[in-house]
Parts: sequence; C-alpha cells; structure tokens
Amino acid sequence: MHIPDGYLSTRVWIATDLLAVPAVAVLARRAQAKFDHHRIPLMGVMGAFVFAAQMINFPAGNGTSSHLVGAALLGCLLGPAAAAIVMTAILATQALLFQDGGLLALGANVFNMAIVGVFAGYLPFAALRGSRAGLFLAGFCSLLSAAVLALSELLISGVSMPPTMLSISFAWFLVSAVIEGALTMAVAVALERIQPGCLRKPTTGGRAWVFAGGAAALLGSAGWMIASDRPDGLQSLALKTGISGNATSIITSPLGAYQASFVSNPWLAKSVAGVAGLVVIYVVCVALSRGLRATGEGA
Amino acid sequence: MRHARLELWSRGTSFAHRRHPAAKIVVTLAFLVSIATLQPAHWPLGLLYFAMLSVLTWAARLPVLRVQMAASVVLPFATVFAIFSFFAGAPEKGLAIMARSWLSAFTTVLLMSTTSQPDLLAGLEVLHAPRFLVQVMQFLYRYLLVLLEEASAMRAAASSRAGKLGSREFRRAAAAAGVLFARSWGRANSIHQAMTARGFDGAIPRFRVLRPNLADAWYVLGLALPVIAARVALR
Repeated sequence: MHIPDGYLSTRVWIATDLLAVPAVAVLARRAQAKFDHHRIPLMGVMGAFVFAAQMINFPAGNGTSSHLVGAALLGCLLGPAAAAIVMTAILATQALLFQDGGLLALGANVFNMAIVGVFAGYLPFAALRGSRAGLFLAGFCSLLSAAVLALSELLISGVSMPPTMLSISFAWFLVSAVIEGALTMAVAVALERIQPGCLRKPTTGGRAWVFAGGAAALLGSAGWMIASDRPDGLQSLALKTGISGNATSIITSPLGAYQASFVSNPWLAKSVAGVAGLVVIYVVCVALSRGLRATGEGA
Repeated sequence: MRHARLELWSRGTSFAHRRHPAAKIVVTLAFLVSIATLQPAHWPLGLLYFAMLSVLTWAARLPVLRVQMAASVVLPFATVFAIFSFFAGAPEKGLAIMARSWLSAFTTVLLMSTTSQPDLLAGLEVLHAPRFLVQVMQFLYRYLLVLLEEASAMRAAASSRAGKLGSREFRRAAAAAGVLFARSWGRANSIHQAMTARGFDGAIPRFRVLRPNLADAWYVLGLALPVIAARVALR
C-alpha cells in the first residue's frame, strides 16, 4: 500500500502533497495542544511499537501470513490527531530508511494511511464506544479506505492494470481489511488485559456526529469502490474519466458540468475530477474532526 | 539490517557529508521532481540524472554499486507494473515507471547515506516541518532498533518454544503484540522519567549547531539549478 515514487502522475502527487501538508500542520498543532511535551517520547515509542509490531507475523490461512498496519490501533490508543502524526512519522521513516514508499508520494501515502486511514478507523471505534465490534470495524474501515484510495490514485495516474489484476487486488484488499480488523481487535483485547485503560474510549457526546461522519466516510469510500470496480475497457481513457466522473457525480453534480464544459483535454479532465474527489473526501474528514472536537468540548 | 548500512555510510566526512542538511534536502527535491515528471521520450535526461547521481555518490566516497543495489529494493514491485504495461501494449510506460521509481530511490538513498538522522531532522526543522512531527520522528528512530530487536527475539523465543500451534497461532501472535506494547509503554515511561531527571524540556539539545555557509549555497546552485534547467529545456 506504500506508493513508491514514479507511479503517480504529476497532478496526483502534487494534489495529494498539497492536501497532506496543511492537514499534517493542522493535526500537529492540535496534537501538540492536547499532548504536552512529556508525551512526545511516548508517541515516538508508540510509533516504534507499531513499526516493530509489523514484524510479528499473523497466520492468514493457507500458509500465508499478514501483519498489522496499525493506523486504526494507533487511533484507538492515542486519539486521532496524535495517531495521524505518529503514522506520518512512521511513513516518513519508512520512505527515508527503507525506500518503502516514495518521498514525493509521501503526501499520497500520508493522506491515504495517516489521515483517511486513522480517521476512518477512529470513527467506528468512537461510534461503538470502544466495543469489540467497534475495534473490528476500525481496522476494517481503516485499511479498506486507505487501500481503495491508493488504488484509485494509481488508476487516475494512468498506471496500467489488467481487469483481472484489479479484481484480484480488490479481493485481496477486502481480505486484508478483515484481517486488519481481526488483528486490531485481538491486539486491543490483549492490551486491555495487560494494561487496563490504555484505550481512549470516548464516553460522552458526539454520538450523532460520529454516526453521520462514519456514514459520510463510508459513502466516500463506497463511491471510490463502485467507481474503481468497473474493469471493462480499463486500457481506454474513457474508463478513467468514467471513474472520476462517477466518484464526483455521486457527491456533487455541478462538477460534472464543469468537467464537460471547461476541460476538453481528457487527461486534464480526469486529473481535475479525481483531485476534486479527493478534496471532497478531505473536506468531509476536516468537517468531521472539527465536529468531533466541538461536541467533545461542549460535553 | 538495511538501515544499519545507511547509518554507517552517513558518518562520512566528504564534501557532500559536510553540506548543510537543508541544502541536501533541496537538491534531493530538485532531483525527485525532475525525475517524477520524466516521460518515456525523455530517456536521455534519465541517463544524465543517473550519471550525475553516480558521480555524486562516487565523490561522496560511498560504494557506488552498493548504494545502487540498496535502491534496487523498489524494482520487484515496479517490474510487476512493467509487465502489466507490456501486456497492455505500452511497454515504454512500464519501463518509464521502473526507471523513475529506481532513480527516485537512488536519490533518496544518496540523501540518507550522506546525512545522519539527527542532521536530517535538524534540516527538516530549518525547512519548517512541524516541530512536533520532527520530535516524534526523532524518538521513533531512537527506539525503533531497540523494539525491532525485541520483536525478533520474541518471535524466535515463541517459535522455538511453541513450534506450530495451528489455530491458536493467531492468539499467540496477538498476545505477543500485547506484551510488546506493554514493554514499549513501560519503556516510554521510564525514558520520560530519566529525561525529565536530566532536564528535558521538550527539545533535545544539539552539540553541533549547523549553519549554512557559502559552500552550501554553491552546492544548491551547482546541482539543483542544472537539474531543473535540463528538465525544463527538454520539454
């Protein structure tokens, strides 16, 4: 799921970098306001923990194994803003030291896994008040939305992927999402047994917001899913414009007209529409985090 | 371990090692942006960048071939996409992905093998990366090796004692992650206490203050400008 450099088209990496930079700045400020400097070592060690926990292999049946990604788990342990920063630190370290993901593509990876991944995981967890089902859904939604975003970004960039490969990778993402959910639940339950009270269970307020937000985030990723799940004629540009057209028309209709009337170049059209889709998802996430904070402070 | 090699290389004393980290980050970004926008028709420029990066590596007194090998970890993944492109009837697109991806990795490895981790983070701070993020990265790096060792020791212990557990394997792994977490948590708390006792107030003091000088300016001008100029010229 770590996109290396060289795959994304210029527009996609510029757009995701432009989204990720202010988002990380805002989240860093928010996390800093909540955590005093005494907690910085703790956050660093938590990042190292998720890094190291990715080394523990979990059997995934048929002799294959899987490992934890950890965005959802971090969200449940540290709260979403701090978790997004720790996840960003992990992704940057992986890109720099292990060539796991690119530096220009870091914006895309941060956006997929550290921002959308963490918030998509935190919402069901908060909505279900830290129950086991909430933990499972946290891992599931987190991985699925990050994976679908990564796949969509690659497709919008015009990376060739045969239809069968697309279906296979989509099925693989679904399986990985179930595994991530099970892992998040299993690890969180094990943590609660060893260290009771380490999960940040939201206790009051914000329930309506959380549900509305969860639904919106699901709708957003569902739009991408429906859009990407059309393998016929993948080689043609038509489909890629179809993808972005679909995703945007689900959320906003004026954009469709914009795309038809102002942008005649199909390559430009798909980039603009794809980026607009990302902007919509991004705005939803920002609105959610703001809403969550407002209700949290009000309660 | 791969990063141990980077740690070793980054302690050199060549002219590239002595440059200000912010200057090296700027040069790296110039290379990365120029490489990321390369199209199949621009292959001569790709060769030029390859030559420039190789000469830089050699001038930094690093083992050129081994640095290039370290960058090659990105190739297997890129090859898969190159094969897809080949069957989709656009082999040059796949080759372009491989070339861009490998050259970008080469650039990153070169940055990391001429810049130590503390210097790199200082450079990021000069370039106004969020301080909070930089500090988390600093602590993450400090404890990464310790916890990776601990995780692999636990894995070895579990597999030598328990062998194959079948269906219970999953719970075993979850419990291992739980124990690892508890140890990390405990370690974080004792680290914090020890650091507070030594007067930690949110920032780790630096023994070596880096100031950009004229050589750094020449380094940026002499490398970033030609790289970008070549890319712009070959539109």
